[in-house]
Amino acid sequence: MCPGAEPSAALRILVVDDHPIWRDGVARDLEGAGFAVCGTAGDVAQAVRVATATRPDVVLLDLHLPDGSGVDVARALAGIEPAPRILVLSASGERQDVLDALTAGATGYLVKSASSADLVEAVRRVSGGDAVFTPGLAGLVLGEYRRLANDGPADAQPHLTERETEVLRLVAKGLTYPQIADRLVLSVRTVQNHVQNTLTKLQLHNKAQLVRYALEQGIDE
Amino acid sequence: MQRWWRVVAAYRVLALAYTVGVAATGAPPYRHELAGGVVLAALAVWTVVTTVWSLRARDVPPALVAADVVVAAAAILLTPVAVARADVAGGASTLPGPWAAAPVLAAAVLRGVPGGIAAGLVLGAADIAERAGLAQNTVYGAVLLVLVGGLGGYVVRLSQRAEAATAAAARLEAATAERERLAREIHDSVLQVLALVARRGVGAGGDAAELGRLAGEQEVALRRLVATPLPVVDAHGDVDVRALLEPLGRDRVTVSCPATPVLLARGYAEELAAASRAALANVERHAGADAHAWVLLEDDADSVVVSIRDDGVGFDPSRLTEAARDGRLGVAQSILGRMQSAGGSALVDSTPGAGTEVELRVPRR
Repeated sequence: MCPGAEPSAALRILVVDDHPIWRDGVARDLEGAGFAVCGTAGDVAQAVRVATATRPDVVLLDLHLPDGSGVDVARALAGIEPAPRILVLSASGERQDVLDALTAGATGYLVKSASSADLVEAVRRVSGGDAVFTPGLAGLVLGEYRRLANDGPADAQPHLTERETEVLRLVAKGLTYPQIADRLVLSVRTVQNHVQNTLTKLQLHNKAQLVRYALEQGIDE
Repeated sequence: MQRWWRVVAAYRVLALAYTVGVAATGAPPYRHELAGGVVLAALAVWTVVTTVWSLRARDVPPALVAADVVVAAAAILLTPVAVARADVAGGASTLPGPWAAAPVLAAAVLRGVPGGIAAGLVLGAADIAERAGLAQNTVYGAVLLVLVGGLGGYVVRLSQRAEAATAAAARLEAATAERERLAREIHDSVLQVLALVARRGVGAGGDAAELGRLAGEQEVALRRLVATPLPVVDAHGDVDVRALLEPLGRDRVTVSCPATPVLLARGYAEELAAASRAALANVERHAGADAHAWVLLEDDADSVVVSIRDDGVGFDPSRLTEAARDGRLGVAQSILGRMQSAGGSALVDSTPGAGTEVELRVPRR
């Protein structure tokens, strides 16, 4: 199904969306940009099946699916080896869903109104392991750290360093990475790493929570 | 409300039965049985009238309750006609007996604590007047009437508030459910198509690009509409600041909020939103046609912070102090004023050519 033997080893993308018109439109855009769309899926079950079978590099994930949420897909895909990168592309505006998908392992978020060029750029960056943040996502992540800080004992919760908070706030205020690097006198790479860390810590915390829950429930026996 | 009128009616009928029953056994000892009988008969008729009225009518008119109090007062004042002076002064029951508390309860249902106490005072005064003097063993009936009025009014108001709160919660739940249904529908259909038109249109160029741009704008506006929480005042008088800020989003204005509610006392939240609007209006007026703005809402442990940044032309911050010195109190001053009245602060920072940043902060109590 996948043109895996392509000479340029094009990035292989799986598009998960319940809307056929949208799915096909996005697939065409991606192929136009030189990516290989190795599959499409319209619901959670199909997405997990196709992803397991085709091993895409990047999964383009809508959060709103007929048999569940894209969050379920993100959770299921976190368990396969190697786990594909996940870019959430959603129109839902459901903040909690976006946050849940990201803590479950997605590394980027884009709203559906983003332009074709933005989408292509985001897929490239996510595939290279970079986190793709919109200002909206930065606001959500900042809020999530605050919520966690209010929630339990400080040492049991992940927290941001001052520098990370500073960087994330600037992302939320719409500055680009080069602008942030300029303002804080850092390299763009360092800015990127700070953003990345804020997400990684949330994901690790989420994983630890799941393990603890499993232990408490006696699943390890 | 109707429930409380039924309680009053039930009390009235039972109290009448008790008074008549006790009178049949000779208490109070009548010296003029016919007079006593006539008064009790009148009370019975009045009981039927008020009970039927209050159970049937949608609203019990204040005039009926006033008449109720007058009837009870008259019955109390007529007591010496039927009962010997000595017995009356000695603390014997009045002709209406415990029935006299029924109009007090009615007044409490109609007008709450003040109504109940007022009726209690009127009938208590009648009781004391009828006994022609104050004595410890006679004043206690009057005190009881006032207490019944006050407590009755309090309980009635309490239950009415609880009822109203339950009804409001049910309405809110229904509104939220309907909203979620609409949001799902809109997401499934309109938003997808608009987003697609936007993508395809912009890709095609020419006239189609303009259509695509318009479709994109509408998609953003509609998505925001269905995703924005309702601006609801909760039981503590707090509102979710997100509900006030999200609607400020536009094509060129991005609003970023936490996923969980950011609660702030209503007045402060409204000042914060008004100051944010003023800051955005300023961006529109001065930052240039191509300027974008970003609004960030943060929930600190001890304060709520809204940052408004634009990438417009900016200005030299010394101009602000200059303007203030010259008495030209512009938008910056109105923002500052709003924040100060909410016990908060506003910081304005700008560099020519590099946009403007405003930070609004309101401390939590």
